[in-house]
Amino acid sequence: MIKRQLTEFVKKEMLIMFRDKQTILLLFFMPLALIFFMTLAYKGVYADKIYEKQIPLVIENESKTPKANLLEKKIVSNKMIKRVDLPPGVDKDCIFEQGKAQVLVIIPKGFEEGTKPVEIYFDPVFDTGYKIAVRSLMTSLTVEVVMGIENIDAIVANLITEKTKKDMIVPSPLQLTVPAYAIFAMFFIAIPMSIGFLKEKNDGTLQRLFTYSVSPNAIALGKIIPYYVINVIQFVLMLFVGTFIAPYLIDTPFQTGTHLWHLIPVTLVVAAATTGFGVLIATLAKTLEQTSTLAATGAILMGVLGGIMVPHFVMSHTMQKLAMISPIFWAHQAYLDVFLRNANFSTILPKLAVLSLFALACFFIAGRRIKWM
Amino acid sequence: MKALEISGISFCYNSPADKSSSGGIEFALRNFSMSVEKGKIHALLGPNGAGKTTLMRIITGVLRGYSGDVFIFGNKMPDNTALMSIGCAPQAISLYMSLTALENLHFFGVMANLSDEQIATRSDAVLAQTGLTDHAKKLVSTYSGGMQRRLNLAVALLHSPKLLLLDEPTVGVDPQSRNHIYETLRNLNASGMTILLSTHIMEEAAHICSSITLVDRGEMVFDGAMSAIDNLEKFFLEKTGRGLRDD
Repeated sequence: MIKRQLTEFVKKEMLIMFRDKQTILLLFFMPLALIFFMTLAYKGVYADKIYEKQIPLVIENESKTPKANLLEKKIVSNKMIKRVDLPPGVDKDCIFEQGKAQVLVIIPKGFEEGTKPVEIYFDPVFDTGYKIAVRSLMTSLTVEVVMGIENIDAIVANLITEKTKKDMIVPSPLQLTVPAYAIFAMFFIAIPMSIGFLKEKNDGTLQRLFTYSVSPNAIALGKIIPYYVINVIQFVLMLFVGTFIAPYLIDTPFQTGTHLWHLIPVTLVVAAATTGFGVLIATLAKTLEQTSTLAATGAILMGVLGGIMVPHFVMSHTMQKLAMISPIFWAHQAYLDVFLRNANFSTILPKLAVLSLFALACFFIAGRRIKWM
Repeated sequence: MKALEISGISFCYNSPADKSSSGGIEFALRNFSMSVEKGKIHALLGPNGAGKTTLMRIITGVLRGYSGDVFIFGNKMPDNTALMSIGCAPQAISLYMSLTALENLHFFGVMANLSDEQIATRSDAVLAQTGLTDHAKKLVSTYSGGMQRRLNLAVALLHSPKLLLLDEPTVGVDPQSRNHIYETLRNLNASGMTILLSTHIMEEAAHICSSITLVDRGEMVFDGAMSAIDNLEKFFLEKTGRGLRDD
């Protein structure tokens, strides 16, 4: 009897959810759009070299000596650099305000004698990675010109060489965005879940259910199981798109790692954590407005802390420590263990333990707070 | 045997912590007793906040933690056999708006432990009784207020209850739907069903009920035959007073 009732609960919840266009947009299309757009946006950030981008640079050669001219020639002929002329009437101090260039290089008079250094100005919003690359390029080229070296890279290559593992693949942004936004969307399940619960409580359908011989446990499970299933579907869909569709549309590879089966326990535990969060919100909120605010704000805050919006490795040391309070951090790291680090299950297990504790805590608090009527 | 027998029910919503902090207990029902004869349509009347909905919730097993006894056809509540002999149409439209009428009936049919065959047969019957056969496959959200009320009643009738509890079944419906509901109730009663009707509409109670219980401030103030009352509204105001009930 309970099995039949549970099946009916799942069927009912699924029908309600799939007939609600806003919920479908929120749970499936929002993360898909985020995966596509954030992958494109992060493409350069995650590459191990300057990728598909030339830096617009204005060069002012005030010296005009042979060495200064040679330096100018070397700079503008570098593949990383796109020379931009200072538009007529525009003061070089205002060049960044107009967005025409991101770097201004001035070769001053006296450069050749070593009395005045080459000056580099950066657009204040210029990416730090690119800034370091330009600074390094300018150093190399200036040293070449001043010391009369033809190709410093060839000399340095004999002194320093970068080695990587044979099968080491540079991670693509897709490998980070797919799990990141899949988890993010999974936590957003708290919105329809808590709204659904509160609606049933307010419109009397929940009260009506209690007039039948249905146990509160069956009702609770009947609300949890469908959303748990939806969470798993969400992840499978994101993984499918990340593996088979996105690489062709945005020309970015996606590797699933060597221990693909690890995804099963990770996804099952992450889904338990997300549904636990949903149940907790459902019992904390008193109005429909509160459910949306609590669920959305909670998911976004956990996402920010957990390295979804800003990658964890970019964060400051303090933020990296703070990230550990977010279940999204542990979920994301567990997926990265599978996708990028090819980690053993024993490495993933502590992360799953943290997520399981989070889920248990949510269900426990919700169980203590729940008011069916 | 009485269809419904309630004796010495007391109930308060305050938790023990609230009682100690506020210094007193606010009873929603205090030592309340009433009974409904088998085969009758019985009216439950009272001003806002009198305790009618609390009483309905206690009868249907939704509220626990009361003192006193509730018997449904001789079975002491809480009891699954007693629960299954009750059909309840709450005041709120307690239906899933994103489901069709048939889907709602199937869902509640499973909750009432009916087989698929029983659900199909009974769904056809209750949809016909409430005049919704032609709209069975439409989403409830597309229904008018009157249609939703009738479906609310249809769900309560699905498992063929012997005692039907109705809380304000005609609120917000047009005269056509209201008359249809009255007609349905009369037919159900004629077939042997006992009905407990909670309402604010005096004409409605006077029109279709044969007995009445008047409740005010959680206590029973009148219990007797409808035929003993000449003017129900006047009687109601005499018993419960003319002051506004905003508390």
